[in-house]
Amino acid sequence: MPTIAAIADAIEATTVGTAIAESRYTFPIIEGTHLIALSVSVGLIFLTDLRLLGLILRHVPVARVLHGLRPYVLSGFALVFVSGGLLFWAEAATVIKSPAWIFKFAFIGLAGLNALYFEFVIARRPGALAVVPVLPRGVKYAGLASLTIWTLVIICGRLIAYLPNWS
Amino acid sequence: MSSVDVLDWIQSTPASHWISKSNHLLIAGFQVIHVMGFILLLASLVLISLRLLGLIFTQQTVPQVAKDATRLLWVGFAMAVGSGILMFIGSPKHYFYNPAFDVKMLLLLLAVIVQALFFGRVAATEMQKPWLARTAVALSLVLWFAVSMAGRAIGFV
Repeated sequence: MPTIAAIADAIEATTVGTAIAESRYTFPIIEGTHLIALSVSVGLIFLTDLRLLGLILRHVPVARVLHGLRPYVLSGFALVFVSGGLLFWAEAATVIKSPAWIFKFAFIGLAGLNALYFEFVIARRPGALAVVPVLPRGVKYAGLASLTIWTLVIICGRLIAYLPNWS
Repeated sequence: MSSVDVLDWIQSTPASHWISKSNHLLIAGFQVIHVMGFILLLASLVLISLRLLGLIFTQQTVPQVAKDATRLLWVGFAMAVGSGILMFIGSPKHYFYNPAFDVKMLLLLLAVIVQALFFGRVAATEMQKPWLARTAVALSLVLWFAVSMAGRAIGFV
């Protein structure tokens, strides 16, 4: 994939990319921000999933959990994408060689599809989000799928530094 | 017994040898548990904080919302501390002589004290004064965010 590598090299070589990579404080501060922002967004998704599974906050209706947390999940994600984008800018050529990085983005795509399927199919079935102690099976499966996929995203993200290439 | 003796002793234990001599993916595994624990801790803290500020789940009382979330917060804490101790045992001197690690441990101590003695008590009260709720939220969030920033800095100092 010479073209992709060349593009990644070019991204990394830009003024901003080099500035982030070479600054003593900027890079760790952006990484810390990425970590805190994902603790809010992905973390609140984990709590939502545990609610869908009926493991926590059983006395709060599911619809209320989904709608109440949504603005905080989305603002957290905005910060995750901005900080993640800046990290990529600084080390594009390095990270694209890591299998963990590629799998991380595949799993993020899968998590997005799962969320869309939940939002537009499962949650719209009659009685899906009813105020009942035990939710329909489809809702529980969606929660379990989300919990699993986001855990895989976190694992892959942490492994980028440990698995720099395929060999 | 000086701190060097203690570090030497930790390094000489079979557990330390096993961790430091094994595949680097073992440490990566500890790191993953550390991050997952921290995510659970922070998300639970944010959830309780949002309720304390009256931004979510206002039809439930603060203690009703805080009960499950507090349990999850300490589960996350246990995961982070457990994996953290294993990483420390693997290379005690690497961490002990890192200034970011010292800062992190100090902030961690403060955060745990505030969590157990202040935030936890405020979140367990039915009707709390708004200024008390806001102070607890601000103090706890700042301390735990600072712990994670200092933790991230360990790899760069």
